[in-house]
Amino acid sequence: MNRELVTYALLVGLALSVLALGAAARSFHLAGNQQDYEPVQPIDFSHRLHAGELRLDCLYCHHAADKSRHAGIPSADICMNCHQFVTAPLGAIQAEDKRALAEDRKPEQVVSAELAKIYRALALDLNREADAPLPEQPISWVKIHNLPDYVYFDHRAHVNAGVSCQKCHGNVESMERVRQVETLAMGWCVNCHRQANETGIGGKPVHASIDCTTCHY
Amino acid sequence: MPSERPKRYWTSPDHADGPGAGDYQHDLAPWAEPAPGNVNRRSFLKAAGFTMAAVAAGCSKAPVKHALPMLHADETLTPGRALFYASVCGGCEAGCGMLVKTLDGRPIKLEGNPENPVGRGGLCAVGQASVLGLYDSHRLREPQLDGRAVSWDELDQTVMARLDHLRRNGGRVRVLSRTITSPTVRAAVHAFLEGFDDGRHVIYDPLSCSAILDAHQQTHGARILPRYRFEHAQVIVSFDADFLGTWVDPVTFSAGYRGGRQQLDQEHPAMSCHVQFESRMSLTGSNADTRYRVAPQEVGRLLAALAARLVPGDAASAVRAQNVPAALNRELHELADRLAAARGRSLVVCGTNELEHQLLCNAINHALGNYGKTLDLTRPSLQKQGDERAVEALVHELEQGVVDALIIADANPVFELPYGPRMAQLLDKSPLTVAFTERMDETAAQCKAVCPIPHFLESWGDAEPVAGFVSVQQPAMLKLGNTRPILETLYAWMAAPATADSLIKAHWQQHMHPRAHRTESFTAFWDRVVHDGHAELPPLPPTHAGFDAAPGRATASVPADDEGFALVLYPNLAMREGRHAYNPWLQELPDPVSKVTWGNYASLSTGAAKTLGVKEGDVVRLEVSNASPGPALELPVHVQPGQHDAVVAVALGYGGESTRRFEGIGPAWFQRQPTVGDDGRVGKNAASFLTFSDGRLGYTRHNVQITRTGKRLALAATQHHHFITVPEHLAPAGGLRRPIIQETTFPAYQNDPASGAFHVHTLEKDLYPPDHVYRGHHWAMVVDLAACTGCSACVIACQAENNIPVVGKDEVRRQREMHWLRIDRYYSGQGDDVDVAYQPMMCQHCDNAPCENVCPVLATVHTEEGLNAQVYNRCVGTRYCANNCAYKARRFNWFTYRRDDQLENLVLNPDVVVRSRGVMEKCSLCVQRIQEAKIEAKRRGEPLADGAVQTACQQSCPMQAITFGDVNDPESKIAKRLASPRHFRVLEETNVHPSVGYLTLVRNRVDGAQEGSVHHG
Repeated sequence: MNRELVTYALLVGLALSVLALGAAARSFHLAGNQQDYEPVQPIDFSHRLHAGELRLDCLYCHHAADKSRHAGIPSADICMNCHQFVTAPLGAIQAEDKRALAEDRKPEQVVSAELAKIYRALALDLNREADAPLPEQPISWVKIHNLPDYVYFDHRAHVNAGVSCQKCHGNVESMERVRQVETLAMGWCVNCHRQANETGIGGKPVHASIDCTTCHY
Repeated sequence: MPSERPKRYWTSPDHADGPGAGDYQHDLAPWAEPAPGNVNRRSFLKAAGFTMAAVAAGCSKAPVKHALPMLHADETLTPGRALFYASVCGGCEAGCGMLVKTLDGRPIKLEGNPENPVGRGGLCAVGQASVLGLYDSHRLREPQLDGRAVSWDELDQTVMARLDHLRRNGGRVRVLSRTITSPTVRAAVHAFLEGFDDGRHVIYDPLSCSAILDAHQQTHGARILPRYRFEHAQVIVSFDADFLGTWVDPVTFSAGYRGGRQQLDQEHPAMSCHVQFESRMSLTGSNADTRYRVAPQEVGRLLAALAARLVPGDAASAVRAQNVPAALNRELHELADRLAAARGRSLVVCGTNELEHQLLCNAINHALGNYGKTLDLTRPSLQKQGDERAVEALVHELEQGVVDALIIADANPVFELPYGPRMAQLLDKSPLTVAFTERMDETAAQCKAVCPIPHFLESWGDAEPVAGFVSVQQPAMLKLGNTRPILETLYAWMAAPATADSLIKAHWQQHMHPRAHRTESFTAFWDRVVHDGHAELPPLPPTHAGFDAAPGRATASVPADDEGFALVLYPNLAMREGRHAYNPWLQELPDPVSKVTWGNYASLSTGAAKTLGVKEGDVVRLEVSNASPGPALELPVHVQPGQHDAVVAVALGYGGESTRRFEGIGPAWFQRQPTVGDDGRVGKNAASFLTFSDGRLGYTRHNVQITRTGKRLALAATQHHHFITVPEHLAPAGGLRRPIIQETTFPAYQNDPASGAFHVHTLEKDLYPPDHVYRGHHWAMVVDLAACTGCSACVIACQAENNIPVVGKDEVRRQREMHWLRIDRYYSGQGDDVDVAYQPMMCQHCDNAPCENVCPVLATVHTEEGLNAQVYNRCVGTRYCANNCAYKARRFNWFTYRRDDQLENLVLNPDVVVRSRGVMEKCSLCVQRIQEAKIEAKRRGEPLADGAVQTACQQSCPMQAITFGDVNDPESKIAKRLASPRHFRVLEETNVHPSVGYLTLVRNRVDGAQEGSVHHG
């Protein structure tokens, strides 16, 4: 009786383990593969809002992508092109306006907590005026799409050949927080290069070399 | 005389006499030399065990990487895109024009500026390496007062209080500097000294040309150095002047010299003729068409013999010439006839610092009508302005203790002048000593106030190396330390503080712009000069008079011939006077002729070494026999074929305080031997042997005794490393050598442009179809051996471009130097009568590459554009490829070479991987530059233009000996070079089809064996 009980208990344990590990196996990655990496950023910047809803062009912020190897993370200056004037989401401002109307007072300025971080980085106060005692402090973003040091990927070559940003970065315009969608493994790169050589990009024939020296030197 | 027997090439005297002589160990397998230290199986396993443990402990999670963008973007700066700024090289006084490549705001590579008349597109090894000095963490960052770091305000107050006292009460103020080519700094020193009753600017050159200046004072009435124009010279005769290596302005001279060497593959081929008389084997001498080895005391006699023939009415010379041996005299007469035939198109230069020699030289050049043609006096060179008489006067004043303030501006007299420690004591006698310096050197350590000056890449400056050729030096990054340019400090002490750029601008507005004779405004003029980096101003009215034969000619004191040796002190290519001794790239650069790295040595001819019974590496003691206590020096011997038998040559510039930093260089492992010597320094300082005679520095010391010490010190010489010739006893029957260097003479070339070509058995047909068909680009390189002088600028350019590590002296001894591009130097001939041939050797990018098919992991593969690619991330380090490489062009990373210095790492080129331990590497033909140019051309929608890709070695070459390009473009320069009848490939008969080829070496001489047409088995 006792032995039987132990056997059942062990079998149940085994089944649970298989289920638990099976679930984990789906997100199992080999060392170095950071697919699905979705770190928390110092500022909750929403690509969904900017690239999706507001339809900002990717190159507006990542302006070096068609000129240089690096796409470039925009400087805080670029944020300030709009956020000099836009200090909070529309909803928050409308809510304040409503409240002010109800209370019969002038609406106060609303500054979202996330935008306040940009102003802080630039050593500005909430009225976007220079605040002398504060030192400037660059924003330390967490890099998501990392390639090893021995890989030289060139944004310029891909953007100018007509490869869409989404091809490698996924539907960033629908992401609240950016996640690494693809594996960025060499096989994935080479497969795409082979396919491009066969089908071309956007109907245009291309030559996407699969020589080692295309990326490794 | 023509000979049946083909020319033998050898690399060191050990191999000179063929089989039976020399070190068989080297011939059979160079790596069979017993390594220093002792590893047995047990210690190896121990080390291996620790390594395993280290690997196991080293596993960790992928690190989180952060990216910090700029808060305020700079509009001119796109991340990842290089910007080039025109500037002036500050590596020496030559002041070559250069372009500074900056990436993401930091300078990473210096390149020659082809538009600047000084340098003309080339940049020497020293210039290339000086970018490393910018990131030197041993540079001074704070001003010091009595050895204590202070603020600039405190230093200024202390110094100015003293200076004000001297201004009011009178006093002697001296500024001591090397030649200053900056017109603004010169004017500032002048203005500063005018404030004192007795202020004087004393200029000296550690590598002095003051005899030339003095000679022109006598013959032309102006103390000037002519601008030598080698481009107009068809016959060049040089007496001990190393004008391609270290003399005055070697890059511009090389650029001129190339004019006479680049007219070969033309419809009417022409070639200049270069004759060198010298005592040691210099780089220039090794390139001469005809070379005579002469003792230093014979130079005067030989010049007199030439003068007797060429200068009408020179009776004194005729008398002196009588002592010249008859055979040599006959050849000198022939030479004189050749010079006379090339009137106005010839040039006689002399590198000694003897007035008599220079006067004779001037008389000969005048008689040949060369002034105004190959020697320009209307635009004299300002690269050497020193006058050692003033230095002697200053030392005299210091001895008397009457100098009230001594300011030493960017000079190191304690190290460079023969006074040695006595100079340091003399400095103490002055109540105020100030040093402007980048590093704490021997002189600054003795000074009360030390003012750190910025590197030339981080400050504004200007230069006028040749009268009228003015350049602006612009900063390529912000200053790293709390440094201040000399200009700003001087003006601060004149109580008129201003920034360097405003001072330079003001000076240019006042003095340069009016000289320009242009209608453009100053702003437009200035912007243009800053953009171009230079401007050409019309020459000033001449200060010199016509030629005057200088009746009262001094005869040099020629010592009676005795048993002793003549010690010749010379600057070597990398160290010069020692200013850059801190630079590990230059320390590890093999001397082009001796192939020795890390330290100096006593060079002896093969004959002298035999007589003395010394071998390479034996330590000898050098002493002056008739001076006691005279200077003495213990140095290892290097046997140098081609040197004069009565001469021992020692390089200057070694043994400086700045080389103490190399104590820890090289990989730290249990068999490590230090790079520095017992005294903690690299090499020995030979400056104590310099002499002052007649108010000039003398670089020759007579009556030097050499004694054996019984000690040995193995030199770190690379001449046996990566040996690709087959020794005769291993060669196939009937075959004497592998065809590696192809050479001919100019007359033979005129008869048959293909003369000297190897007779090789190439396969007409292959059994298999070709492996590689190149449909797009097909990259290839051709090196013209007739142009290559071996100056090694390419070696350092490659090192800077490709992040090549420095390994240290011990690792070089173990044949583990990492240079991707080496320059093989071969001798031919017997004993000390040798010819030298240089051959830059790098990966040959073979079509049928032997390395590719032995790699078990496909880490070295062929690309569709003809490159032999090395994939570091695949390489597991079996080293099969290196063993199978016929050219020995592959380098293995035995260690993760030290890159501890975070600041120094900023010099790394981010476009090239830093390789780690266990990985093979080699020349990639600068594939990163190819990719960049290709992608950029695609971006612009243009086809890739010929010349859009320049490899680093090609760009730096002052002789433009290297051509690189796409063979599939029939109009390209490379396609034309490949079609030259001089084109050959090294080891062609092995059927590896290299993509790198060479052009036959041509020597312009009448005699000489007709080389080549070698038939082998």
